[in-house]
Amino acid sequence: MKAARLLPKSAPLVLLAASDREVIMKPAAFDYERPQTLDDALKLLASSDNAKIIAGGQSLMPMLNFRLLAPELLVDISRIDELRGIRETKGRGLSVGALTRHHEMETSKLVEERFPVIHEAMQYVAHLAIRNRGTIGGSLSHADPAAELPMMAVLLDAHLHVAGPNGLRQVAARDFFLGALTTDLEENEILVQVEFPGLPKRSAYAFDEFAQRSGDFALCSVAVILSWSGNFLTGGKKIGDVRIALMGVDETPVRIEVAEQLLSGAKHIDDPLLEQVASVIRDTIQPNGDLHASADYRRHLAYTMSQQTLKTAWQRLQGQTDED
Amino acid sequence: MPESNSSQYVGSRVKRREDPRLLTGRGRYVDDIKVAGMLHIAFRRSDYSHARILSIDTSAAKASPGVVEVFTAKDIEGEFNPVLAQSRMRDYQPTIMQILAADKVRFVGEAVVAVVAESRYLAEDAAALVEIEYDELPLVTDPEQALINSSAKLHEQMDSNVLLQREFNRGDVDEAFYGASVYIKERFRFTRKTSLAMENRTYLAEYNSAEQALTLHTTSQVPGIIRDILVDALDIPGSHLRVVAPDVGGGFGGKTSLYPEEVLAPILAKKLERPVKWTGDRIEDLISTSQGFDEIIDAEIAVDREGRILGLRADVIGDVGAYSIYPWTAGIEPVQVVSFLPGPYKIENYHGRVRGVATSKPPTGPYRGVGRPVSTFVMERLVDMAARELQMDPREIRQRNLVQPHEFPYKAASGIVWDQSGFTQGLNGACEAIGYDGLRRTQAQARAQGRMVGIGIASFAELTGIGSRLSASPGMPINTGTETASISVDSTGGITARFGVTSYGQGLETSLAQVVADELNVEISQIRILQGDSAAVSHSTGSYASRGAVLGAGAAILACRALDQKLKAVAAILLSSSAEDILIRDGVFSGPGSDEKLTFKDLAKAYYSQMGLIPAPIRNEIGELSATQMYDPEWGTTSSATHIALVEIDPDTFKVKVDKYVVAEDCGQMLNPMIVDGQVHGGVAQGIGAALYEEMIYDEQGQNLTASLVDYVVPSATEIPRMDVVHLDLEKPKTLGGVRGMGEGGTIGAPAAIANAVADALAPLGQQVTTLPVTPQRIFELVQAAKANQ
Repeated sequence: MKAARLLPKSAPLVLLAASDREVIMKPAAFDYERPQTLDDALKLLASSDNAKIIAGGQSLMPMLNFRLLAPELLVDISRIDELRGIRETKGRGLSVGALTRHHEMETSKLVEERFPVIHEAMQYVAHLAIRNRGTIGGSLSHADPAAELPMMAVLLDAHLHVAGPNGLRQVAARDFFLGALTTDLEENEILVQVEFPGLPKRSAYAFDEFAQRSGDFALCSVAVILSWSGNFLTGGKKIGDVRIALMGVDETPVRIEVAEQLLSGAKHIDDPLLEQVASVIRDTIQPNGDLHASADYRRHLAYTMSQQTLKTAWQRLQGQTDED
Repeated sequence: MPESNSSQYVGSRVKRREDPRLLTGRGRYVDDIKVAGMLHIAFRRSDYSHARILSIDTSAAKASPGVVEVFTAKDIEGEFNPVLAQSRMRDYQPTIMQILAADKVRFVGEAVVAVVAESRYLAEDAAALVEIEYDELPLVTDPEQALINSSAKLHEQMDSNVLLQREFNRGDVDEAFYGASVYIKERFRFTRKTSLAMENRTYLAEYNSAEQALTLHTTSQVPGIIRDILVDALDIPGSHLRVVAPDVGGGFGGKTSLYPEEVLAPILAKKLERPVKWTGDRIEDLISTSQGFDEIIDAEIAVDREGRILGLRADVIGDVGAYSIYPWTAGIEPVQVVSFLPGPYKIENYHGRVRGVATSKPPTGPYRGVGRPVSTFVMERLVDMAARELQMDPREIRQRNLVQPHEFPYKAASGIVWDQSGFTQGLNGACEAIGYDGLRRTQAQARAQGRMVGIGIASFAELTGIGSRLSASPGMPINTGTETASISVDSTGGITARFGVTSYGQGLETSLAQVVADELNVEISQIRILQGDSAAVSHSTGSYASRGAVLGAGAAILACRALDQKLKAVAAILLSSSAEDILIRDGVFSGPGSDEKLTFKDLAKAYYSQMGLIPAPIRNEIGELSATQMYDPEWGTTSSATHIALVEIDPDTFKVKVDKYVVAEDCGQMLNPMIVDGQVHGGVAQGIGAALYEEMIYDEQGQNLTASLVDYVVPSATEIPRMDVVHLDLEKPKTLGGVRGMGEGGTIGAPAAIANAVADALAPLGQQVTTLPVTPQRIFELVQAAKANQ
């Protein structure tokens, strides 16, 4: 994940506010364990009322240093080999272990081939040094409203595999992200893997993100997947599966279903339709304003960037026609 | 015999000798210094911007593991003499520095309690246990409210929150405005910034009770100033107080002032008789290091039909924060806005007024450019706005108003005297380098396609290398006009040059070695440069105000000349020649009286170590092979430049992209063109930060909303464009070596050039850029306003 995002965008960081919240740069003392297996990790988590999992440390370390968190125990899962790696699943899907680093995702040929949208989005994740350390599981569990990985999970209808004292459970990405920095994970659970189901064969994507500086948290980001359905030979082809996800414009990444429905079934996307869809997106999102972007400005960004992104995806989708 | 002065180093791109050390992590910064028995301070800082302290309970903190002692203001009472920045300005009210806040707090982040423990972690643990009870006082956060008589006062003993006010008058402004064809009036806002050095402020104090001597290692640009004031504050003889600034990781003005923590560390080291260190963290830096700029400027300009400026008027409110910073005073930033506002232009009628208003924020102090980034922003905006009204090209209106080459020295409307400098040549040089006319044609084509493309020019002049006839800060009574170099040849022939001017990344260690090597005609690697130690020379005020190269090089030249005489006198004896016939080349002495050649080592050994060779009376006369000289450039000199930026605004996101950037500058003789380029690049990068990204935001409660680098947005390398720098080769100034200062110019010109370029890009919308930074959010608002006006 990126640099120290401490609080959701909706609540600008007010330091040394007239409250009990102390903000300093050195972590309070904690115990540290580095289990070798998932079972041991789960046992350690269960052993303390105030334990935190650490993997890449790209968000947690700043939070510890600012003493926004003062856990008694840090469970370092970085040596649990079973949580590593990117694997193919049936139906052109991929399963990604929680300990996979952003940079591995960014450079994986499998990811680039099956989910070029993830490949592109990964390049917007902070800076290389952070991508080298930060893990996929960490990003998803931290659930920053302006992080790319959670957005990808929501866009691609990913399933998150969660291990807990009672075994494994699966959560749909849409149900996993509950709010800014808030997920469906229980204190004693560990996110172990994320599964991206394969996309329809004839599909195209587009991704765009805007931040003040390269590597910053997005003020707005849009990702789109468009797919053909119907019979190409009889000329009955039309747009089938449509996914539109935005982030930076709400507490969690959001899918804009009303906009998706407007496009699904269309045979052609022209400028008026693009504008209509973008307007729906602008009017559907509920962005918060902060120091860097007002809610109105974020709506504006969502509007213009959606139009551009959809246009790109549509152009790419048209290019897919002749292949089959 | 005439000496060949080949000047082989000065003017050439000598690689920076400090870089291998600094770039491979072998620099030695204050925090790298660890001494046995060292204790650590953590502060409990104020949560409130303005509140009375009712009670402080330190009992839990004192009982916390590893804690040695906990100090409040009461505990250090009587341990120091009050520190306050004096000024000769009329209507100035000094403030007394609070080492730890006593009775009340005046900004969020002001240190209230110091916890001293065996480790910083334990100190932090304990600081969290301190309980302070506050009684909130009326808010004093808005400078316009704070200057009203009925406002609550931040310092009760004072007449008002207005710490200073000053006016500048020339000619008859009312009359000038009466006759104008074009009249522009606007309110401008240059928001608060911070200098943001990579290295946070850090202090390590060691007290040697056996010798009653104190050493302070400090992240300071001005160890001499710190030594001098601590001598008074702590009643310790200067001979027993050494202030050392080792490698310093950037300053930009933020390390030119005395800080409460810098006084406290020595007090506690003395009290506890143990070394005490405080290393500021990034939050502490963002909430307690001196901040920059923060002015509201109401300005008016009157121009005739030909574009000649008839009159200028400005009323400046400077939000100077809670205290008048030592030694510069609260006047340093806002007063210079008014004194430099007329810029490089001929303006016969001027009225400028400035008020520096105390508010409950950290004090403002010098930040690279000081006042002039703001004055240049305002003046250059006004000039462009007038040009637009007249439908005159921005280049043309400047050409018509700049002080022309034959008009120097020119006394500007505020009283500043410009000596010969390339004002018009800078404008022409920058226009030529960027291909100005062609660029305007390209812009017209882009506009026709609906693209938002803008070109911005900024011309400015500054005083640099100021001598003893002026103060580096208006009204400040300490001499900032002299510097000392002490150069010696030891008994092995080793050459050591000691300077008061300090290096904190800007490359002076190399530039000064170049000067010394050329003056003594020796290989540069033979020269050791020592800086950053108050014990190096008797008096120094350090590096700031673009003075290091001018005063450092000048002092080096004088000291080398004096040393040269001694060396030649010795060589004359050893080579049976007369001193005036001695030639030094590449570190070798020769003379017509002998075929023998002497190296520095030969000469030094012969002089110091061989018995009977040098007659005693001569040795008694020549003395040590060293020379110490002071240099005072009296008035200093004028540096000037023109910046031109080409920008394009993304029509969807309103992000500003800087596509081209050119600087044409007159810095006189360049000591090292590579270092000059680097200074310009770095300065422009900071100026782009001020123009497009950086803003310290305080809410109405006085809480800092930008106390992390997530929210205080500084440009990174990817946001900085390629720059072209044109060095004008013009008549050299009268400073020794012909050097003009150039450390700040980049930051002075860039905000104005970028602002003008963005304004130019938005001109078809009929919107003005009046507030910096002009962020995507602000451009969005301007575009919305334009739509609403349609």
